Amino acid sequence: MVRQMIEVAMQEDVIIRPDTDIKMEAAGVDMWYGSFQALTGVCIAVPARQITALIGPSGCGKSSFLRCLNRMNDTIDGARVEGSITLDGCDIYSRETDVVELRKTVGMVFQQPNPFPMSIWDNVAYGPRLHGVRSRSELNEIVERSLTRAALWDEVKDKLHQNARGISGGQQQRLCIARTLAVEPEVILMDEPCSALDPAATFRIEELMLELMETYTIIIVTHNMYQASRVSQFTGFFLLGELIEFGPTARIFENPLDSRTDDYVRGRFG
Amino acid sequence: MRDSLPIFTKYPLGELLSGTRWAPTSDPERFGMLPLMLGSLYVTLGAMVIAVPLGLATAVFIAEVAPKPVQEFLKPTVEMLAAVPSVVYGFLGLLLVGPWLADAMDLPVGRFAGVGALILAFMAMPTIVSVSEDAIRAVPVALRENSLALGATRWQTIVRVVLPAGRSGIIASIMLGLGRAIGETMTVLMVTGNAAVIPQGLAGMLKPVRTMTATIAAEMGETAYRTEHYYALFAVGLLLFIITFITNSIADWAVRSAGGMRE
Amino acid sequence: MKSRHLVHPRLAEKVAFGGLWTAAVVVIAPVFGIIAYMLYRGIGALNPEMFQVGTKGLVPAIVGTTALVLLTALIAAPLGVAAAIYLSEYAGRGPLVRAIRLALVNLAGVPSVVYGLFGLALFVMLFQLGRCLLAGACTLALLVLPLVISASEEALRQVPHSLRQASWGIGATRWQTIRRIVLPNAMPGIITALILSIGRAAGETAPILFTAAFYSLSKPFPTSLKDPILVLPYQLYVMATEDPHATEEQKWATAFILVVLVVALNLAAIAIRARLRRKQRW
Repeated sequence: MVRQMIEVAMQEDVIIRPDTDIKMEAAGVDMWYGSFQALTGVCIAVPARQITALIGPSGCGKSSFLRCLNRMNDTIDGARVEGSITLDGCDIYSRETDVVELRKTVGMVFQQPNPFPMSIWDNVAYGPRLHGVRSRSELNEIVERSLTRAALWDEVKDKLHQNARGISGGQQQRLCIARTLAVEPEVILMDEPCSALDPAATFRIEELMLELMETYTIIIVTHNMYQASRVSQFTGFFLLGELIEFGPTARIFENPLDSRTDDYVRGRFG
Repeated sequence: MRDSLPIFTKYPLGELLSGTRWAPTSDPERFGMLPLMLGSLYVTLGAMVIAVPLGLATAVFIAEVAPKPVQEFLKPTVEMLAAVPSVVYGFLGLLLVGPWLADAMDLPVGRFAGVGALILAFMAMPTIVSVSEDAIRAVPVALRENSLALGATRWQTIVRVVLPAGRSGIIASIMLGLGRAIGETMTVLMVTGNAAVIPQGLAGMLKPVRTMTATIAAEMGETAYRTEHYYALFAVGLLLFIITFITNSIADWAVRSAGGMRE
Repeated sequence: MKSRHLVHPRLAEKVAFGGLWTAAVVVIAPVFGIIAYMLYRGIGALNPEMFQVGTKGLVPAIVGTTALVLLTALIAAPLGVAAAIYLSEYAGRGPLVRAIRLALVNLAGVPSVVYGLFGLALFVMLFQLGRCLLAGACTLALLVLPLVISASEEALRQVPHSLRQASWGIGATRWQTIRRIVLPNAMPGIITALILSIGRAAGETAPILFTAAFYSLSKPFPTSLKDPILVLPYQLYVMATEDPHATEEQKWATAFILVVLVVALNLAAIAIRARLRRKQRW
């Protein structure tokens, strides 16, 4: 069924590159917080090296779903996931999966920019150090490369050893993206990365996402429909814990199949 | 504390602080506080060497590692330990722990510095555990999540993010525990043997010592009002007050700077 | 990114967590062993003979402890609550208030034996009270005041500001609001603080060593505030260190009753606090 969805999408739309394959795939995902069911039967296929947006009103389960994809929900007491989620065809919830390896491959950027209370340099070097990189020169290289990719290098190259909490909110968020890039992930999950930022900073991040799309698979949760239509190639609409509709962004916004999607993208509720 | 002043007019401050003999009943009387200060310092440091690593490990355990039911059992238990009166700890040290240790190490008596240090460690521990546990819990969940999302294990997250972020509160907990150990009276009075000698090296742990607090408690009862000895004991009290004032101020300052950082 | 480690982080984590479990057991297990042993010895030692009324022994010590802590609470409660009301409801943020707060934080950490010295100089000598119930209670009241004040202030601050505004809104004065709205709502918290202070006062020895306590009394029960008293912690101290005639049973019985009393008071405070947290939701 998921397959069909993506095939339909590919037929409909020309922006899909011929080499597009599926990076992550969820089938029949149910999720509970204790006795509260947050997700019901979510099926979705996320294409590689594209930006996929998840939209929907607050509390619809889009963030919960995002957190299933790198098993961040493992850290919450009473959270339970059923169904299958695969990364490159391997089940990430199987017993053999190393959560730590998974989170290296599937990085995450959170809503609130949250640099660690240490220097900018240490923030970016944090991940590589975790994974055993010790040489100073190699770390320097990684820091410069990551900050450059996150379009932050020029702004901070003279204050790498200042506390990361001293830079602006937008810069902090790009720092968090650089920190994620430093561990060389393949997928980047973004949980409303711009909701705490002003329009100018938001614009920078969106630009950055479009650049990063060349290399990384990006999944972004946003409550801002304009943002979804600006940056994403695919959009999924969540409502009350269900994925109502998923397809190429242009079609979701211009010609949705489901009346509830239509109501939402036209601003009739939400 | 006004009553401590007369002693300073009679004996110069330097002599009081650095005098190596405390002999209030000999003739002439000697009021060198150095043995008492070093006795306090010695027993307290001994206690902290045990209490800090164990206390911090327990705090991390309760806050980050223990399963919920274990957590819910340990928290009130540690609070209870803090509530047990110090005279009871002293009593247990005197009747049980001291004799056991003396047996085990082949010593003639069960009253020596090491017993005091061991029991003080257990008395300072509840403070260290509960204050640093609060500090660890106060570290924002978001920082933990960010670290985990970069592929850190929980242990890496604790060591590299949580503990550094909770540093101020942890320092405060250690200072408060230290203050508690220095000020503790009844326990050390009962178990450390009370000989006013300067402790020497590690072997001193197996010999009796006398602390500032124990000196006041032991001698004040038999001292005539407004004698030199009486004033000298007040001077010891004043010194104790100043020392704990300093440790508490450091703890207070650490807590405040933690509050400022977390905004 | 490929991992390059000498020791795999997963393994390091397992070892470290094992260490933490061990530390927790090392901290808790001996204490439990000793407490269990104490309960066993204490219960074994309790028999009717222990409770014979004499000029020393359990009964006068229990009575003395009760009298001492009640009098302490009677002195500390009004002073402490008044100070807390001032700090939370009236005081601004001036340097004086900041100094008071700093003093409170520091006084809470002053060794109890120093309070004993202070009580000796002030109440016993200067006010000529002598070693007696009243002097001991005043000394202990000073000792628990910082605790009473800061915990009561905390309880008062927990009362939401909107309640106060609502009361002012219908024309109540500041004092009427405090008396009819703030205090009743903060009462459980204040009572918790008082019980905790009583528990603390009941177990303290050093402050009453030279202000109130005698081992061998001339009569079993105090009849005036100026009588010296026998209290449980002091009795335990003397029996353990100085009285060669005290039997093992007497010592363990005293320790047992003291611990039960203090732990019971603390459990009561914890229970009240837990109920409070469940009931109050704002």
